[in-house]
Amino acid sequence: MSTTPTSFWQRLQAVDRRILYTIIFVSVIIPTLWPLHLPTRVTQETQAFYDAVENIPNGSRIMFAFDFWPSTLAETEPLAVAALRHCFEKDLRLVALSNVGMGGPSIADRLLRDIGAEYGKVYGEDYVNLGYKANYQAVLLGMATNIAEIFPTDHYGTRVGEIPVMQNVTGYDSLAFILLICDNAMMDYWVSLVNARYGVPMVAGVTAVMAPKALSFVQAGQLQGLLGGMKGGAEYEDLIGHPAKASRGMDSQSLIHLAIIGFIIMGNVGHFALRRQRQRRSGNLPAGGR
Amino acid sequence: MKTRLPVLIGTISGGIMVVAFFGRGAMVDAVADEALVWQTIVGGFALLLGVVSITRVHLGKIRTRHPDRFYSIVLLICLTIMSGAGVFFGTGGGGWFDWLFTNIQAPMMSTMFSMLAFFIASAAYRAFRARSLPSLILLLAAVLVMLGRIPYGQMIYDNLPTWANWIMMIPNVAVQRGILIGAALGAASMALRILLGIERTYLGG
Repeated sequence: MSTTPTSFWQRLQAVDRRILYTIIFVSVIIPTLWPLHLPTRVTQETQAFYDAVENIPNGSRIMFAFDFWPSTLAETEPLAVAALRHCFEKDLRLVALSNVGMGGPSIADRLLRDIGAEYGKVYGEDYVNLGYKANYQAVLLGMATNIAEIFPTDHYGTRVGEIPVMQNVTGYDSLAFILLICDNAMMDYWVSLVNARYGVPMVAGVTAVMAPKALSFVQAGQLQGLLGGMKGGAEYEDLIGHPAKASRGMDSQSLIHLAIIGFIIMGNVGHFALRRQRQRRSGNLPAGGR
Repeated sequence: MKTRLPVLIGTISGGIMVVAFFGRGAMVDAVADEALVWQTIVGGFALLLGVVSITRVHLGKIRTRHPDRFYSIVLLICLTIMSGAGVFFGTGGGGWFDWLFTNIQAPMMSTMFSMLAFFIASAAYRAFRARSLPSLILLLAAVLVMLGRIPYGQMIYDNLPTWANWIMMIPNVAVQRGILIGAALGAASMALRILLGIERTYLGG
């Protein structure tokens, strides 16, 4: 049964959710309209991600996995864009694919086309989008020896044998590196099936909720580097010298974190004040009575 | 026969992958590669089966005049339009499918996910109370990490990001490893049960 809060402390514990939502909304909107340009300190794992990409010889061929759903685009797209910029700056040739059937290949297509155009890259010569194939575990294992057997054609239906960037490609041994942008359990499969078995070096950019788990792979050396959510993206943008969406998003995220901490403190202040009141009241009662 | 054949297929397919994982050799690799190609083809058919299943379920709801039948109508219309656009006009950039995906589906999915920020804020306010020592520790760790992960944390106290990083790299990773190892052992035992034909719930009973 719900009761109407009467005292100040009760009201502090029962703030209308519309007020909370409005504060969150304002925390998102203000930095979006007027960027705060907050400084970011680069973490070790982001630096390791940057160094891992930086250390690949220019012109090498790498695999770029767009393993994220459209729902997390706000967080994962800035990571993918920053990574693509870094790769294209180094003239790396990309073999892209997606293990997310719903939307993955379309996102890959759009980002490769847009960022590729910024650097004058040509489809087929500098990068290719292999698209999606069902049954991701079989896809990851099958590509080990022959990528063309799993992906006989690219996203547009062109046979991979006719695509210049796919010339002389057999399996993972034809790739210098694997770069993942993930928002789901695909990261676990890439690590346990591909890195553990074939020893292909890899780095990952993941959503913030996935970062705590991904850190264990970084510590074990299975991932050479990690971009953890919007913060990782902002740090990486800083490192490649191209502040963009993640840096702006980090401003909003900073304000939201502050707002949530404020809500938690507010709720706890009300909770402890009420508890103290109750204890005082029960202390005034005769022994045994409550 | 109805259960024996699928169990036999499962055991042989799984057995091939186990042998391929631990063994090496031209014949083993060739058989494993062939099995993996088969798996991707079967995976494609499983997707088709999913489409057939979802269509049947929602057609059933419309036929029986279920109270939520209007949602089923919307779902079937969207399913037809998206699959029709993909099948007849292709899924490449600039096509109908791409336009529908970029301008309707992606923004809708992002919107749904963005709502989480509001719900998490509200839930944190209502549920995050230091009612006991463990909940106090959880609360302090959460606040430290939240502050340490934003620039304001560093402005408040220069070492706050270091503390947050310590929580993430030591206690968090230790717990994550425990969960990962536990889950892996569970998955291995489940796989063994399927391979030996003990676990048959995936056959529908």
